Amino acid sequence: MINILILLPFIAGLFILAMPKKARGITGFVVLLVTLINLFITIKLFRTTAMVSFPWAGFGIDFALRLDHFSSFIILAVAGFGFLISLYAVTSMKGTEIYNQFFAYLLVSLTLANGAVLADNLVVMLFFWEGLLVTLFAMITIGNKQAYKTAVKAVVLVGISDLCMMVGIGLTAHLAGTLSMSGIKLGLQSSGGVAYILLMIGAISKAGSMPFHSWIPDAAVDANLPFMAILPAALEKLLGIYFLARISLEMFSLTPDSWISTLLMIVGGITILFAVMMALIQKDYKRLLSYHAISQVGYMVLGIGTAVPAGIIGGLFHMINHAMYKSTLFLTGGSVERQAGTTDLRKLGGLGAKMPITFACFIVAAAAISGVPPFNGFFSKELVYDGALERGWIFYAMAVAGSFFTAASFLKLGHSAYLGKINDGHKNVKEAPITMLIPMIIIASLCILFGLYNSLPLHNLIQPILGEHRLEGHHFSGFPENMMLVIVTVVVLIAAYLNHIFGVKKSGSGLGAVDHIHHAPVLSGIYDKAEKRFFDPYNIGLGIVNIFVVILFKIDRIIDWIVDNFTVKVTYVFTNTIRKIHTGDAALYLSWSLGGMILIVLYIIVR
Amino acid sequence: MSNEILLFCIVFVPVLGSFVLPVIGTFSEKARNLLALLLVAVSLIFSVKLLPIIISGQSITINYPLLMSIDFVLHADMLAIFMAIASSLVGAIIVLYSFGYISHYENRNEYYFMVVLFLGSMMGLIFSGNLIFLFLFWEITSIASWRLIGFFREKAFVLRADKAFLITVFGALIMLIGFVMLYTQTGSFNLLDIKNNLQNNPVSNIVVMLILFGILSKSATLPFHTWLPDAGVAPSPVTALLHAAVLVKIGVYVFARLFISTMTLDVVWHTVVPVIAGASMLVSGAAALKETDLKRIIAYSTISQIGFIFLGLATGNEIGIAGGLLYILMHGLAKGGLFLCAGIVEQNTHTKDITKMGGLGKVMPITLLAFLFCSFSVMGIPPFGGFFSKYLVITGAINNGQMAIAFTFLAGAVLTVLYLLRVISIVFFGELKMSSIKEGSATMLFSVAFLGILSLLGGIFIKYPADVVVSTVQQMMGIIK
Repeated sequence: MINILILLPFIAGLFILAMPKKARGITGFVVLLVTLINLFITIKLFRTTAMVSFPWAGFGIDFALRLDHFSSFIILAVAGFGFLISLYAVTSMKGTEIYNQFFAYLLVSLTLANGAVLADNLVVMLFFWEGLLVTLFAMITIGNKQAYKTAVKAVVLVGISDLCMMVGIGLTAHLAGTLSMSGIKLGLQSSGGVAYILLMIGAISKAGSMPFHSWIPDAAVDANLPFMAILPAALEKLLGIYFLARISLEMFSLTPDSWISTLLMIVGGITILFAVMMALIQKDYKRLLSYHAISQVGYMVLGIGTAVPAGIIGGLFHMINHAMYKSTLFLTGGSVERQAGTTDLRKLGGLGAKMPITFACFIVAAAAISGVPPFNGFFSKELVYDGALERGWIFYAMAVAGSFFTAASFLKLGHSAYLGKINDGHKNVKEAPITMLIPMIIIASLCILFGLYNSLPLHNLIQPILGEHRLEGHHFSGFPENMMLVIVTVVVLIAAYLNHIFGVKKSGSGLGAVDHIHHAPVLSGIYDKAEKRFFDPYNIGLGIVNIFVVILFKIDRIIDWIVDNFTVKVTYVFTNTIRKIHTGDAALYLSWSLGGMILIVLYIIVR
Repeated sequence: MSNEILLFCIVFVPVLGSFVLPVIGTFSEKARNLLALLLVAVSLIFSVKLLPIIISGQSITINYPLLMSIDFVLHADMLAIFMAIASSLVGAIIVLYSFGYISHYENRNEYYFMVVLFLGSMMGLIFSGNLIFLFLFWEITSIASWRLIGFFREKAFVLRADKAFLITVFGALIMLIGFVMLYTQTGSFNLLDIKNNLQNNPVSNIVVMLILFGILSKSATLPFHTWLPDAGVAPSPVTALLHAAVLVKIGVYVFARLFISTMTLDVVWHTVVPVIAGASMLVSGAAALKETDLKRIIAYSTISQIGFIFLGLATGNEIGIAGGLLYILMHGLAKGGLFLCAGIVEQNTHTKDITKMGGLGKVMPITLLAFLFCSFSVMGIPPFGGFFSKYLVITGAINNGQMAIAFTFLAGAVLTVLYLLRVISIVFFGELKMSSIKEGSATMLFSVAFLGILSLLGGIFIKYPADVVVSTVQQMMGIIK
């Protein structure tokens, strides 16, 4: 059964890729069938356990798969998103040149994601995990004309972290003496800490955390929208946080007193704040969402980094919640793009009346991401806050500040796209087709369900990951226990609303609702530089690499000069000198011979 | 046919057959081409045929005593068979590709003569059980490659060929001194005798150093590496043969043959060789990122990947050596593919300057795909074969406790990703800058596609190459199953 999850989408993907253009009619059917079968199998496998292993590459690299609660939950989520977003894309991508390519890569990505989640052997895990680079590259490249640059950027950023992970896996195997994840138990002292950090780099980079994030906003513009909804918004987050949890909870025991826990929280906090600040000022629907896709990872990393039960549960709950509302948001963006022809917020407006269902889904998802009760995002964020506060008020403050800006930017986004005056060209815009609406409605309803009945996901999906012994008798479902936190959240949300009203009044439009922050004295200078990619770690990194490269290349040229010119010169000088000795004078030659003979005789005597 | 005859044929069918090629070429081009392919295929097929026998634990030896202690010895063990299959497989594909490529140029008889002679003497080098014959075949490859690099006969090209020849022969002569010193220590040129006489005592460091001169110069490693990018003036299939698959692997093969299979090294070399390899890898990786000539870039990339192979072999532990050997195979396939793709690009655009190229992916989709597949394999991205070799090599270093070296090679792997993606995006993406560009010919496209797909299958079905490598390493290290 497990093998089918890996083989079926892969074979189907190759089949679709090889299909002649004439047969394109059945592509959609094949994709939906395969993703549906995939979904059914994962439902059937849910809550079962299994272990499969057969020899592969030697040296402990067995093709070992493990199905336990955690992995069965993640593959179920992957399959769910895979099916729903395929359903959406079958319509939204219709008629494009790259229709078959897109779905082929999507199916192969499903195989790789399934494999990475199910793998028990670390090298097998990396095999599938890093393999996603190939589909990532392919799926971005088929976007617009400039997309290849973003694809390169993505592969470089994610590839570097995957290579770090490769070293991390080598080190882990060296320390633990096994590659089997279920058999690894390491501490975080000295080499163990190095191994953990290398693995963590891979995990958080896959999830899109800073500083490996900067390809995501570019991809939002350059790549196709369903790609954004499936990979950066859903699958990559699931995988990244899944592996982060695996290493933090099982293979290494991350404890609150270790400095690595603090490091994770700092990474999380910074990611939340910096990314949301960038999201705030975006003027493009998709680009704005993509910065939130980065910012929200911060909450998950922060939550798991707290290393206390509430934080970890919150981080994991946030992972699944985020995948839901963020893919919904991207899908609404796709509907707007398809129906109105643009995602530029300056050209949008008043679409709420024309596209009521899309608007409704947007409201649900936006409320969820902003942490408005009783949507799912509220509950997971409260848990993260709880954990963060336990570890230090500064982390809590960062998280809450992030929430303020999140709410503010979604008020701005909703206002400028769906409310306000409609653009003249958009008078005849209609609601998106039903096949695109269904996935949105389903996922948006789940956002409500996971909020109102949060005990359902928490009891069945999230808490068993930690296991009863680690929960220390806590239960995290129902309404948050700490009313203080809830009050702060509500106050922050109201503040965000007031800020919005203030901004709209000041600038006169929904789009300008945050201009007073954007153009605030110190911030505006920083924002200008950020918009010019001054802080892009990719550009900074390439700059540093370039310095080294120039020096090293100089060394290469010098060596080449030594080989080509210097040795030749030395040879000429040497031969010219020797030649000068050869004057043709017989007496001189005779004295040379005599001298040589004396030397030989002396040598023999002395020896 | 008995196994001894098979072994004899692997070496001497291509070596002797190559002399017939120019004669046949004067009558029929087609017959000569097919015969050339057949001669190389004989090496491949017979090697594969011997594989099950060798894998079962036997080894095959031919021994004709000649004068003094210079015996003519051919010895087939796992390492030799593995190397022979890896070289002749890529060699055969390169010969096939040449059908399309070289048909545009003069002096085709000489071309096939030299290529087949080169591959044949490579087989001789691999199976030689005697240092003198190893040296002999080594020098034949030098002569053949000298002629092939200067194939286009322009003055500048011939000078480059001279450079390659002088550096590798200089190294080989110093290595010969090492061989003689080894003879004075052990009383034999025969590898098996040397092994028995040494009895696991480390061989003296001066001998290792002298032999390393030869190895490093042949495998184009810092500071003897600059002949390799300069040799890019050769026809593309030749550069594939020299730079990627075969010639540069001679050095690493001899390293494995002498310093792992035959002698034990002083522990200091487990650090010194990786350091040299690391420096070589970083310098050449940087050069690959700066160069603008397509073939020079790929040549520098070869130098940097050779660094990984040396690292793996020099670790001295099982995983590292297995990684190094697997690297030889995977890198040969992928890098051969890259050079052949470069040949298609060069032949159709009439330039090697990447700044003049762009958007070629649209007109050359198959070349692009093959180039991508091979690049991913070289970068070490799964599901391509290069992933496993890179992982094993780096793990080998980690298992020696050499974290600093592991991180250096991590930096090298990052450089690899950067320079290959740079080439891909400049050459194949963006605006098309040239008009009326065509794809390569059918045999050329088949060759590159085949290498690309082999790189992919080599990763997915890693079990088969890995099994061979595991038993090779076990035999080399004397671990009995």
